[in-house]
Amino acid sequence: MIVLLVNLEENRTLVETRLKSLLERGEFVVTGEVGPPHGANHQLVIERTHLVMDYCDAINITDNVRGIPTMSSMTCAHYVLETGAEPVMQMSARDRNRILFESELYGAYAMGVRNILFMTGDHTLLGSHPQTKMVYDLDSIQALGLASHLMRGTDLAGDELEGTPDYYLGATFNPYADPLEMHVWRVEKKRDAGAQFFQTQAIYDTSRLKEFMKGIRSYNVKVLAGIIPLKGPKMAAFMNRRIPGIKISEEFIERLEKAGAGLKGPEKRSSVRGEGIRIAKETIEAVKKIPGVNGVHIMGVGWEESIPELVKGTGLHPRPK
Amino acid sequence: MSKISNCREKTVFSGANANDSGYLVSHMIVMDFKPLDDILEMLDSFEKIVLFGDSGCAQMCDVGGILQLEDMDDFLTGHGKKVLGYIFVEGGMCDANALKQEIDANMEMIEEADAFLIQACGVGTQAVTELLPEKEAFPAVDSKFLGVMPERYHHDERCSMCGECVLHLTGGICPISRCAKGLLNGPCGGSMDGMCERDPDTECAWQLIYDRLKKLDKLDNIKKIWEMKDWSLARGPRSIVHEET
Repeated sequence: MIVLLVNLEENRTLVETRLKSLLERGEFVVTGEVGPPHGANHQLVIERTHLVMDYCDAINITDNVRGIPTMSSMTCAHYVLETGAEPVMQMSARDRNRILFESELYGAYAMGVRNILFMTGDHTLLGSHPQTKMVYDLDSIQALGLASHLMRGTDLAGDELEGTPDYYLGATFNPYADPLEMHVWRVEKKRDAGAQFFQTQAIYDTSRLKEFMKGIRSYNVKVLAGIIPLKGPKMAAFMNRRIPGIKISEEFIERLEKAGAGLKGPEKRSSVRGEGIRIAKETIEAVKKIPGVNGVHIMGVGWEESIPELVKGTGLHPRPK
Repeated sequence: MSKISNCREKTVFSGANANDSGYLVSHMIVMDFKPLDDILEMLDSFEKIVLFGDSGCAQMCDVGGILQLEDMDDFLTGHGKKVLGYIFVEGGMCDANALKQEIDANMEMIEEADAFLIQACGVGTQAVTELLPEKEAFPAVDSKFLGVMPERYHHDERCSMCGECVLHLTGGICPISRCAKGLLNGPCGGSMDGMCERDPDTECAWQLIYDRLKKLDKLDNIKKIWEMKDWSLARGPRSIVHEET
């Protein structure tokens, strides 16, 4: 058995990323998400980065969400850097064993990626490639421990590294997931394994986030509340059904339905999306007031244009230098 | 497999493990028949067939008991095959000595056969292959998982044979086989209302583990970080030689 030599003090990184320095100096941080292309066109990464980079302090690159293959998060993170923005590279435990984790962590560091976010990864039965053999050699906590281990200069075999990487490590939590107490402990475990910042699953009803934040108050971690603007009632219903860990209330779905009632075509679309933006703005304003929330993480989910609108609309623009 | 399925529903279990009430809970290798067309395709160039089954897992899964051997006999005969007879092993085909005894006792039939159809798990098919390498043995079933039978015809997975049991730490509920992701450090973010993100009918194993350890006052077991698992213990081919006592 390989022991994760986890030591909180040792895990404090020396690396300075913009994300880290803004969080540490107490700014209310905004991160946004760019979905990688469903194919080989890297120009799309650059275009999507341009759309959101002035409105975000760092840009997340998702990693084959729901097991639907998209351009690798490492490659996209490289193009985000090349475009002049700071990436947060997501790494899921679903598709990598410990060997590939190590290999990609070296590669990502070499390309200039410093913010790495670890997640378990959605079950492939929820996506387009359900026949896949899932990996889960590690879970997200063990993967964080692995990254922390590499930062001490040796690989898991104990062999000295030719170049020691240094990362600002992050993780996720979902305040709606059950059992709540166990998910609170998981935040502590993730912190102990090296995570310094957390991005949450999309928040709609903020009461459970408030309760969750009370549970993790003493952990001394940075938390960015997840925001996904709703494009309409169908998207909301789909998310409740198919996106793990999402809970959108009937009240919000009714508001979106009402906004489109009696309207057709582009007029309906714009009215419904406007309501979706309004709900997201209200949520941002609500999470700002929750003690311990250090920022928001806005996931456009194919609607990256919503990110500038939300950031401007909630007084979070311009972003600090 | 309509014909055989129909018969299966009519059969009454009288296996050695049934208790007085007829209700039984057994652990076993759980199997299911391959599609009948696939079986016919495997046997396409063979005429004279010998069927194999046993009174262990194969019978308990309703794939290789006497009744299913008879059903298969009818089915293959109806499709132009000649079934010479059955080899039925009391216990399991995995007991190579018991299997060999049955084979030896039926050598005439074995020698006449063109091929063997095994209505037992992959171990059974390979055991016959090793004992009778001059002829081909074909699998009639897919081996699915190691499971429990809470009631007749119902099987649930319970063990992944990962090589290093953790049930003493998880209140007797296995996170490797019962969490859809095999996680060791608690539930993923897709666990809601006690159910798994994968589908609405699967319970979250970690919710079950949490509830059970809470009752046992052993939640400390899962508060600490669990180390990376040694998956080399889960990979075959594995062999164990126990010392005789």
